[in-house]
Amino acid sequence: MQPMDPHGEQLRRLQALTDSDLARLDVDELLEAVLERVRDLLHVDTGAVLLLEPSGAFLVARAALGLEEETRQGVRIPFGRGFAGRVAQERKAVTIAEVDHGNVLNPILREKGIRSLLGVPLCIGEDVIGVVHVGTLEPRIFTAEDAELLQLAADRIALATRARMTHAELTAASVLQRSLLPGLLPEIPGLELAARYVPGGGGDVGGDWYDVFDLPSGRLCVVVGDVVGRGLNASVAMSRLRSAMRAYALVSDDPSEMLRRLDEQTRHFEPDVMATVLCAVVEPTLDVARVSSAGHPPPIRAVPGHPGELVEMPADPPIGLTRSRRRHTTMVDLPAGGGLVLYTDGLVERRHESLDTGLQRLMSAVVPGPAELVCSTVMGRMIGNHQAVDDVALLVVMRSAAAVTGGSLTLVEPAEPRSLRVIRHAVRTYVEALGATPAETADLVLAVGEACANAVEHAYGPGGGTVEVQLERDGPRLTVTVTDTGSWRDPRGTNRGRGTTLMYALMDDIRVDRGLGGTQVVLTTTLGRREDTA
Amino acid sequence: MTDAEVTCREPAPGTVEIVVTGEIDLQNAGAVERRIHDMVDNEARSVTIDLGALEYLDSAGLRVLFTLASRLELLQVAFDVRVPEGSVVRRAVDLSGLGDIVAVH
Repeated sequence: MQPMDPHGEQLRRLQALTDSDLARLDVDELLEAVLERVRDLLHVDTGAVLLLEPSGAFLVARAALGLEEETRQGVRIPFGRGFAGRVAQERKAVTIAEVDHGNVLNPILREKGIRSLLGVPLCIGEDVIGVVHVGTLEPRIFTAEDAELLQLAADRIALATRARMTHAELTAASVLQRSLLPGLLPEIPGLELAARYVPGGGGDVGGDWYDVFDLPSGRLCVVVGDVVGRGLNASVAMSRLRSAMRAYALVSDDPSEMLRRLDEQTRHFEPDVMATVLCAVVEPTLDVARVSSAGHPPPIRAVPGHPGELVEMPADPPIGLTRSRRRHTTMVDLPAGGGLVLYTDGLVERRHESLDTGLQRLMSAVVPGPAELVCSTVMGRMIGNHQAVDDVALLVVMRSAAAVTGGSLTLVEPAEPRSLRVIRHAVRTYVEALGATPAETADLVLAVGEACANAVEHAYGPGGGTVEVQLERDGPRLTVTVTDTGSWRDPRGTNRGRGTTLMYALMDDIRVDRGLGGTQVVLTTTLGRREDTA
Repeated sequence: MTDAEVTCREPAPGTVEIVVTGEIDLQNAGAVERRIHDMVDNEARSVTIDLGALEYLDSAGLRVLFTLASRLELLQVAFDVRVPEGSVVRRAVDLSGLGDIVAVH
């Protein structure tokens, strides 16, 4: 056994501590544990760690020993001023033999009766990330050897802190990213939605996102975007852009107008952010989408019986770059059984491969079908078993194939005025597919519209409810059942009750069952009888 | 939102012609009614509402027309509804009996 000098032994204890025992501690626990060791090592009375804020303008107390007020009061020292500020600015050890008003800014240090101070910077390479200082209640001249020891401890603290902060940032970014992706996609009759998000390799989260929400107008808004950059900053910027898009969607339902406003907001409030965004607004009739791109790759359009095709549309400049002259909106037809595939570039970009090759592969991977199946087929063909380098976001919007075989149609909608238009469209599409004449279609749509309007107006209290519409065909006979689960009350006001008169005039037969559990209206009509006059 | 466009012209002083296109249902009937009322001032002698290009009209929309008819009758303003044979909403207008109280042509 070799004789050991006491300092060397204590230093080894300090090193051993930071290497293994502290591995499981978070930043604050680690800093406190190290401060305790430093206190024993240097025989001092107080110790404190201050970390530089992301802005670089202030040092904030993060851990303290014998000076707990520092952290409790959230002491902030301007960079370059006071004792800690000087240490950070000069990036070297600073000693104060006799504390006075001139050399120490922080009143806590003076009130505690600290007489002498030694501080060293926490550095990672050239960057200062904070300051650690120790103090004594008796006057003391700190030696160069003391400073060297404290600097050794500081270097350990700096590395461990940076590693833990990076880890915390990664976790925060990942949590933020996942919390902002819509958990449940909205249910729209006649439309299927499916989505995937996969963070890129390297453990760093990027700024990709997708969003789907319905609008008060009955339209559906679909957004896919990609903020340039990685990590927590990109995720936070993404969350702001996502919220802004939602807000602008309430102001305008023209996608190019939404993107224009988003661009304006970003250039004003977040001049460092750049993003590409694709926005599509699907009409309540579901047969048309209006699409606008801010520097984002165009969507793939799926058409039954055809390979996927790239939507031809102008690419306007990305968000946050420069004031663009005019943004464009392109109309895209969505045939029954077809749809749109939106994605971020992580899906199609490969090293050593042109973007065209990736897009070609994507187009051939898009085969119309149920949205979930389209999604998994695309992910399987495009990503397979590879770890994607970049984030991948994928969003598939498919129209259901029309029930042209004459099967039944069931719709369940909120009993609200805005549902009427959606129901009318679904009924019109259904009976047209059965071969009804325009006049027959108009009669049936009006009769069903009236029955549903009755449920909307009279079935429920303020809590609301749903209205269910079921269409069944038996040869030329068509039966429509409109059901609510509310309690009927008689219409109020003048000029009411006309809707019921209309229904009787338009249909062969009307049966109304009012029970405790709700009201059921059964309308029957026969197709192919009425001479077309329309 | 159910969309309807309501436009107005006055070919001669006191003669108001209102054209409604799009759709009228429970959701927008109130808004359409307000638009129409705004277009008819106290100087009006006759009002014509043209529904020839309207694509949907339910009982909430008919209610607007009936209410307007009784109001204009009280004010002694002539009122007629233009909805030619073959118009999409002609059948709803016919079945409603609006023709019994105003001129429908």
